[in-house]
Formats: sequence, C-alpha cells, structure tokens
Amino acid sequence: MKFMIALLVMGILTQNFTLAKFLGICPFLGVSKKLNTAVGMSLAVIFVMLLATAVTYPLNMFLEAHDLVYLQTIVFILVIAALVQMVEIVLKKYVKSLYNALGIYLPLITTNCAVLGVVILNIDNISAYSAYGFGFGHAMVSSFAAGAGFMLAMVLFAGVRSRLETADVPKSLEGLPITLIAAAIVSMSFLGFTGIVEGMGLL
Amino acid sequence: MKGKDIASIVKTALSLFLICAVAAAALAYVNSVTAPTIASNSAAAADKARGEVLPEADSFEEKTAPDGTVYYVALKDGETVGCVFTTSAKGYGGDVEIMTGVNADGAVAGISILTINETPGLGMNAKKDAFKDQFKGRSGELAVNKDGGEIVAITSATVTSRAVTSAVNQALALYESVAA
Amino acid sequence: MAEKKKYNYGRELTKGFLRENPVLRLVLGTCPTLATSTSVVNGVGMGIAATIVLICSNIAISALRKVIPSKARIPAYIVVIASFVTIVQMLVKAFVPALDESLGVFLPLIVVNCIILGRAEAFAGKNPVLVSAVDGLGMGIGFTAALFCMGAVREILGAGTFLAGIDTMIGGFVDLNGFTGFDFTEGLSRTGLAPMTVFILPAGGFFTFGVIMALANRLADRKGLPKAELRGCEGCPHAAVCGRSECAAEETKETADAVKPSADKKPAADEPPKETDAAAPAGNDGKEADAQ
Repeated sequence: MKFMIALLVMGILTQNFTLAKFLGICPFLGVSKKLNTAVGMSLAVIFVMLLATAVTYPLNMFLEAHDLVYLQTIVFILVIAALVQMVEIVLKKYVKSLYNALGIYLPLITTNCAVLGVVILNIDNISAYSAYGFGFGHAMVSSFAAGAGFMLAMVLFAGVRSRLETADVPKSLEGLPITLIAAAIVSMSFLGFTGIVEGMGLL
Repeated sequence: MKGKDIASIVKTALSLFLICAVAAAALAYVNSVTAPTIASNSAAAADKARGEVLPEADSFEEKTAPDGTVYYVALKDGETVGCVFTTSAKGYGGDVEIMTGVNADGAVAGISILTINETPGLGMNAKKDAFKDQFKGRSGELAVNKDGGEIVAITSATVTSRAVTSAVNQALALYESVAA
Repeated sequence: MAEKKKYNYGRELTKGFLRENPVLRLVLGTCPTLATSTSVVNGVGMGIAATIVLICSNIAISALRKVIPSKARIPAYIVVIASFVTIVQMLVKAFVPALDESLGVFLPLIVVNCIILGRAEAFAGKNPVLVSAVDGLGMGIGFTAALFCMGAVREILGAGTFLAGIDTMIGGFVDLNGFTGFDFTEGLSRTGLAPMTVFILPAGGFFTFGVIMALANRLADRKGLPKAELRGCEGCPHAAVCGRSECAAEETKETADAVKPSADKKPAADEPPKETDAAAPAGNDGKEADAQ
C-alpha cells in the first residue's frame, strides 16, 4: 500500500510526466489555452493510458515468453493506435455524451508520446522496482498517476497562460517563447517537491 | 455491402499485412545479427567493472550466498583475494546499482556504479572518482557526513550519496555473511 | 504525378536548416528536444538516431507510396517507422551502448516523434524517392543542429563542461587521443563559482528552448519569415480545440467518415502533389503531424 502511494506521489509530483520527464509536451503547449479543453484532453489521456497499460502489460508477458521482445515498440504503438480508434468508435456509438466530451481529443492521443512512454516505462519499472514486487496493479496505479500528473500540469498551466494572454512581452518573445519560459517557472516550482517521497517514508 | 467495398477492404488489409510481415522479418533478422553483440557487450562491461573494483584479481568465480545472492569470488593465482558484490539502494531517480569489491581483510577495494538515473549535475556526480574513491579502504558501518559518518556527501545530492553508501554497506554485510 | 516536376535538391536540403527548421520553426519533436539536450553528446546522439530513422522511413514510404492504400496510410507509416526505430535501437544497443543508456525511453519514443510521421505524411508520401531522402537528411540535420545548440547552452551553463562523454560515444570508432571533452568546473571553482545546475534540470530545458526560439524568431523576422507557431499541434486535429474554424470543420468531417486510425489526418491521398518549395513556408508541412 505504501508503495502504491509512493507511485502516486512520484507520478503526480516529483517525477511529473510533463514537467520533469518531458513526455506529452505538444498537448501541454497546444491544448492548455483554455481550462475546459485542458481538462478534456487530460481525461482522455488518463483513460487511454489506463486502457493501453491494461492491454500491453499482459501482451509484454506474451512477447517475453516467446523471445519476441524486439517487437515491443512496433506492437505497442499499433495496439495504442488500434485501441484509440476502437474507443472512438465505441464511444461514438454507445456513450454519446462521453464522446462529445472526449471525442475530439482521442485522435491526438495515438501519437502522443506520453501514452507510449507510460507503457514502456511500466515495463521498465518491473525490473527497476523488482524489490517492491512491481506487478499489474502497480502498473495501473503508476499509469493513473502519470495521467493525473499530466492533468495537474495542464490545469496549472492553463491558469498561467490565461494571465500570459494579457501580458505585455517583448516582440521576439511573443507567443511560444514566453510560453516556454513560463513553463520553465512552473517546472521549477515542482522542484520544491523534491524528496517528499523519502521524507514521508514511503520508499 | 457492395463487392467493390469488400475488394477495397481486402486490398487494404492485405497490403497492411504484407508490410507488417516484411517489417517483422527484417526485425527478426537484425535482432539475430545484433543479439550476440549486445550480450557480449554487457558481459564485457560486467567483466571490466569487476576488474575495476578489485584490480589485483586476475579471475573471478561465480558463487551464490546462503541468502541466494549471486556474487563473485576474486582469485589471484588461485588464491582468494576478495569478493565482488552487486547491491542496490533507492536513489532520487530510481535504483542506484553499485558493484563493490571487498578485500580479503573486509575493507572496500573499490566501487563502480552500474545503474544510476539521478539528476544530471547533482546526483550524477556520484560517478566521479572524487566521490567513489572515498570508500576505498573503509570497513564497518559507513554513513555520510550529514548522518555523522565519514563519507562526504555530494553537494545537493544527499539522497544519492546515502543510496550509494547504503549499497556499499549491504555489500560489506554480505561479505561478513559469506566470509563467516 | 510529381515525378515530372523538377526538384531543387539544394533547396530541399537546406530548407530544414533554418527556414523550416523542424524544432525551431515548425515546433515538432519538442519532447525529445527538451529531454535529450542535457548535453551536446546526448542531444547530437539523439539527432543522429532520429535522422537515420527519418531518411530510411522517408525512402521506404516514398518507394511504397503507390502501393499503400490511402485508407491504411497512417498504420502503414507507423509500422514502417516503428521497424526502423527498432532496428536503430538494436544497432545502438550493440555498438554504442552508452547512448542507449543515456537516451533511455526516448530511443523507442522516436516512433512518435512528430517530425518523422509529419515528413512521411507531408512529403515522402507524395514525392519520389531521391528527393524524399534529401528532405529527410535536411530535416534531420536541422533537428540535430537545434539539439546541438540546446545541448551546448545547457551543458556549458549547467554542468560546466562541453562535449563531455564524447569518448563513451565515439571512442570505439575514432581514436580521440584520450580526449574526454572540456571541463571548466575546476577553473570555475577556483574563482568560487559553480555551474548553474538549473540549466540541466527540466526547468532549464524549457527556459533555454524559449530563449533559443525567440532568437530564431528574430532571425526569421529579419529575413521576412513568419514567426514560429505550434503548427504541429494547431494543425488539423488541434484546430478544433484551439478554435480555428476552417480546420475545425475539416476535423469534424474527418472523424465522421474515417474508419482507420487516420481520423486525425486530412485526406492527403486525393490531394494534388504539394508545392515543396518554401513559397508557403511550412504552411502545410507537418501541419498534420500530431500532438506528441
């Protein structure tokens, strides 16, 4: 249980997917202009991350059992692409309200490196955290934490950007450059969480 | 469904299938070519690391400790001159894996860092000789200076320094258990 | 088709350097740029790995462009790219293990580097083999150059070194006479100074990227080119989110009739071959490359 909480805290705060690991920067910069789109995109990312982990974790065991680990990347990306497509079709047909809320974000997620990243990192975690018996449940928790961390970064940054819109900045810095510099400050503030996992005695 | 549609679906599926098959075959081939090199690389790296932490040894023999840990006995001209252990401890960015060479008299002969994923410029400085050489010749229970010990921790990277120290302590304890 | 068109190979090659630099002008591949530019050697290693994948995938996709059905375009591209990424990954593991270790998860993540899928979709899928290879090389050099600049600034300011670790990367192929990179830290500490570690931390990555992009904007402004924008993300799929109406309409139409994982792409197959010169600077290039 302690390890589960540690995974959550690490994923959301100390090793934030977006601000510390640089995964999912494109949507972070592109979709964080408004709060509601930021939330919608994040929810879709969490959903796909959980689903992708649930499918690829057992699939990786199959690949390992048959000595096919070198097919990992190609299999994972195809699984994610197919999953996203299927989720979109299913949602569109049966859960119209959810589709209306998340549908437009789903196609963007196929080539979102945060999703492929979380899947690959979870496989790496099996050996990295072998002392803690990292298993399927832990993989799901850390996927959720990664997605939640992404959401936190998106929501916080949406707030920063709404202020930035009205700010008067030098011409060369207008637009993306100042956005990146603002992201640097948000990222720096997350450094403040350094050591919190050890401090709480979770690991 | 019209026949034309079915034909187009079949054509699409077939071409995708062909691309996948060619890709898988190519990957299998490259894997068969590179796999031996990758394996010998890591074996050579492990051998080199063992030689670094116990320079006086000329060969190593794999053994298993009573608790199941695999370690290496260092030999020189057939005589045991020490042991090499691989231990790990939790650092700031994941596990820090350390290889420790222990002399026949139970002191550290040298350490080598196998896996480390700490902050560049901070925890990563553990790889520097200035930090690693502090462990040479020490024995007993080690601790970093912040915890009242003799190991000078890396500036702003106490967590990493503690992890390395704790891994070395584990190795020394393992040595006690196998030497006894 | 495009074959009859005359290509200016020099222009195709150099457009990636500054005019359509994938990182600084098209804002593609931001994740690997930020993550692997902690040192010059790291960044250039990433750049070269991605360039090799880019050239190979451009050649393969261009050669297969008439065989791949337009509906199955994106999955086919992904398979081709993923195969080359895996091949490069295996070669790196076998011959430059130090690079594999330092790039970590970002080596397999080249698959979703939107520069590569973006070039496949915007260029290689519509143009002949040779010019696609040149395009891939130019874009790859542009990517590597941007990573070199980022890496140099971050390494010198953040770690106080330059080209550190070069021996572990190319030491096996070239005799470096014991050269292991420059180290300024000792000289610095004699004056009582220390490197500004924040530059190699994630925060410094964002900051350096922002400043370098501002400089590139200024340079481009003098040459009369438009500013860097998030074309990669504000292209088709994101437009619906970002509120640009003309693309939003296209996106809705797309999702409605697409059945393959190509819903996020515009129907490029029935589109006339695109002008490949920079007259419309990057207008469409990489536009459909997605969120990474």
